[in-house]
Amino acid sequence: MTPDVIVQAEALTKQVSSPEGALTILDGVSMSVRSAETLAVVGVSGSGKSTLLGLLAGLDEPTAGRVILNGTDLSQVDEDERARVRAGRVGFVFQNFQLLPSLTAIENVMLPLELTGHARAEQQARSGLGRVGLADRVAHYPAQLSGGEQQRVAIARAFATNPRILFADEPTGNLDEKTGGRIIDLLFDLNREHGTTLILVTHDRAIGIRCDRRLELSAGRLLGEPI
Amino acid sequence: MNSLSLAWRLLLRQRRAGDLKVVIAALAVAIAALVSVMSFADRLQRALKFQGSELLAADLVVRSPYPPKFEWLAEISRLGLKSARTVSFRSVVIHGEYSQLAEVKAVAEGYPLRGGLRVAADVNVEDASVVGIPPMGTVWVDGQLLTLLNMTTGGRVNLGSRQFLTDKVITLEPDRGGTVFAIAPRLMLNLADLPSTELIQPGSLASHRLLVAGDVGLIGVFRDWMQDRKEAGVVLQDAGNAQPRFRAALNKGEQFLGLATLVTVLLSGVAIARAARNYAQRHLDTVALMRCVGATQRKILEVLITQLLILGTVGSAIGCALGYVAQQAFVYLIPGLVAGDLPWPSLTPAMVGVSAGVVTIVGFAAPIIIRLRGVPPLRVLRRELGTLPNHVAAVYITAMLTLAALVFWVARDVTLAAYVLGGSLIAVVLLSALSYLLIRLINHMRGGVTVTWRFGIAALARRAGSSIGQIVAIGIGVMAILLLTLVRSDLLQAWRANLPPDTPNHFLINIQPGQLADIEKYFREQRWRRPHLRPIVRARLMAINDRPVRPQDFADAFAQRVVQRAANLSWMETLQDDNELVAGEWWRDQERASPLVSVEKQYAEALGLSLGDKLKYRIADQEITVAVSNLRTVAWDSFRPNFFLLVPPALLNGYPASYITSLYVPRSRAHQINALIKKFPNVTNIDVDALLRQVRRLVDRINAVLEYIFLFTVLAGIVVLYAAIQTTQGERRQEVAILRTLGATRRQLSIGMVSEFVVMGVLAGAVGALAAMLIGYGISAQLLDIPYRLQFRTWLVGVGAAVTIVTGAGILGTYRLWRTSPWQILRNH
Repeated sequence: MTPDVIVQAEALTKQVSSPEGALTILDGVSMSVRSAETLAVVGVSGSGKSTLLGLLAGLDEPTAGRVILNGTDLSQVDEDERARVRAGRVGFVFQNFQLLPSLTAIENVMLPLELTGHARAEQQARSGLGRVGLADRVAHYPAQLSGGEQQRVAIARAFATNPRILFADEPTGNLDEKTGGRIIDLLFDLNREHGTTLILVTHDRAIGIRCDRRLELSAGRLLGEPI
Repeated sequence: MNSLSLAWRLLLRQRRAGDLKVVIAALAVAIAALVSVMSFADRLQRALKFQGSELLAADLVVRSPYPPKFEWLAEISRLGLKSARTVSFRSVVIHGEYSQLAEVKAVAEGYPLRGGLRVAADVNVEDASVVGIPPMGTVWVDGQLLTLLNMTTGGRVNLGSRQFLTDKVITLEPDRGGTVFAIAPRLMLNLADLPSTELIQPGSLASHRLLVAGDVGLIGVFRDWMQDRKEAGVVLQDAGNAQPRFRAALNKGEQFLGLATLVTVLLSGVAIARAARNYAQRHLDTVALMRCVGATQRKILEVLITQLLILGTVGSAIGCALGYVAQQAFVYLIPGLVAGDLPWPSLTPAMVGVSAGVVTIVGFAAPIIIRLRGVPPLRVLRRELGTLPNHVAAVYITAMLTLAALVFWVARDVTLAAYVLGGSLIAVVLLSALSYLLIRLINHMRGGVTVTWRFGIAALARRAGSSIGQIVAIGIGVMAILLLTLVRSDLLQAWRANLPPDTPNHFLINIQPGQLADIEKYFREQRWRRPHLRPIVRARLMAINDRPVRPQDFADAFAQRVVQRAANLSWMETLQDDNELVAGEWWRDQERASPLVSVEKQYAEALGLSLGDKLKYRIADQEITVAVSNLRTVAWDSFRPNFFLLVPPALLNGYPASYITSLYVPRSRAHQINALIKKFPNVTNIDVDALLRQVRRLVDRINAVLEYIFLFTVLAGIVVLYAAIQTTQGERRQEVAILRTLGATRRQLSIGMVSEFVVMGVLAGAVGALAAMLIGYGISAQLLDIPYRLQFRTWLVGVGAAVTIVTGAGILGTYRLWRTSPWQILRNH
């Protein structure tokens, strides 16, 4: 692995069992991402984009092949070690926000900070929420926020620990065009400010164009760079 | 499309989606627990009756002053039941120059129908069980008669106009039981020999017994048939009214089984309640979608209720089948639990099971389902809209009413059911109120704890309604399990205390006043415990309130015997600890010589006596009249000398008295008793060792049965607790997945979840254990009449056990969460 490569995938294959037998979702995908690079993974629904993202982040295990994330071969370590690799260094933004309904906005943002033992978690979280424009919503529960606001909380949470890599899975998929556009602007702005590596899954080519590099998946295979 | 067919189609689709598994599984587990405990308890209860039958030598005895009528025998043979006859009377037995009044019993082939006789070749020789009755021309006698007639086996005795060979010594006669030391010695002969003795003539005072045994149901049919034809003087007796010494143990055993069944109903109800709520929760989307596509509220209600009925029936039916398999499996696992075969399971538990399943799921889910109609169609677009309404009070009231109806339906003992339900109701109110307060309190504290604890506490607080429901469910579960544990250990202790290893196994009677000092000295030399020597003055009851009494004036057979025989009057300064005063007052010091009598309650009832009644007795050639000053109950199973009648200590001064005592001598040292008899030849030894062993065996069997039922119910309880915790697993899955993506380690997640379980366990355990102790006190002290002590330690153990079980079940339940890829969970959510 070259020194500035932060994520590398080698011959990744993912199969799942289905009533019709084994179904191949990813088929021998190899790729690498350099530090501070922005990469868009594009493709139609069902092409395997989200599965690839899950594997790259170590949230799922491949049937074959391996992923090296931030210098750690994920296939060689257990789930707890993978959690440690993620803690503080990897951020996530999901299509359906994935906030904890039992925690307030600020408690959601504080979570990753506290998990890594950050001393001034509350202060940091408050400033993060301020940065995404939600300074007056800190004590609200997710159910009391709009979709756009929830995604802002999720972005504040993702950047809270100043991660080296950010994985975003269709971050605008559940939002209207206007709100989605603002969210993407915010995401890219923060990414620039923090110098984070961004790996973004989208079916929206307009979003893909804003990234340094694009990979297209079709039926689980990498087609190369579409543009 | 009509609602039934729509409900059915929707259900089939949900089945494919795996949605029904949870609710059907919860229902099946609960009903399986209910049916298996109920069915097994029912079978054991009937089997215990059979244990009692051993002491009656039959399942049913018809006692009459004349030989059984032909029509009775015809009915018995029509029903295919077994029968055997016995005739008992008193007669003088002569051996050489010695003569002795004996209780003669003529028995027919087949006797005893239940239990068995034990005989020995001679006095103080190892005994063995025997099949059959004395061969014609021979008699079997008890050791006491041989001693009194100064003979050994092999000698001949005259009875009426016949002479018999004395063949064996009877050591155990199953149906002799309770009054062993109060009656004359036994002589048993073959019924076929009876006519040749010419002792029984028309009008002779003899008690004829017709022993009947067979299928429980058919015995019931015969009992009813006999009841309709019963004439004066005919008494029906079954194990239920058999020997008082065993009845107490049987009754307590039965009550415990009843309690175990009730507790299981309670546990099942709680489990089904959780499942029903969960099911309703999962239906929010379906209801919203149905409303979007134009379903009316009425239609939705019809469809949902129909679905519940179908689910209730299917889940209950599976549960019934599992329950029957489980209880049968147990029969194979513990062979020899009861003597003989267990009766076949009846269909009642299945009927109760299915009805319980359907009624409970509808009862618990209906209030929620009715409110589901109000879910806005917009929920399809905005999931946060129309969360399940938490009208806790409405749900609980309906649920409690449903459960109460079920408990009373299943209960055979209304008082027991009232205790259990009353206690549960108090527990539910307490648990709801306390958990509400606690959740509010800890929610304020969440800023001050670490992230992992906060995650747990926040989860509790956010799901307040559901958390309260869960804590109540767990609390009731803990209460139910602990209640059974407490009552069971009380019962065990009470039984053990009643029959310690050194329970007297010999009675010495006919000790003369002049021998008292020597006997005490002999006991000291042998290092035996100092004897309690009780005086006896033989007296015959002549009149009650100046009205002369005759045996034929009483319908009750026990009363007839009492009047027919001489009574043993004894006296005491103070009440023995195995006696309890139930009416009137014990005599005061100044009444030491007053003409008063203390009467055992059952004895008083048989003769229709009440306080103040005057009894006239003849003692030798004198008459004395005493007034009933109090009534007592007696723990006959203490095996100490006890008396139906007690008088003040100085009343009978100068009357001819003999003394009686009891002592424990290990079987291996029986020769010490022989030596004593040689030294005091007039003293008679009555060996009750075999009888005592019989009682112990019975109590051991009842214990083993209760032990099993207890373990089984506890197991059911743990399954139910597990199910209660599982109901929030859906929400937990997503939380865990999110935390894992953020880098939380298993340890951090475990602490978070454990904190939630610990809080739930402590609260549920504290209140549940308190409720269990209070109900346990009520049941033990008031119903089972056994000593009970409220102990802080018990409560502490209860809380500890609750925390352990809840946390254990919680960790077990969440174990799968670690194994599933968080990506899968998040994408499916």
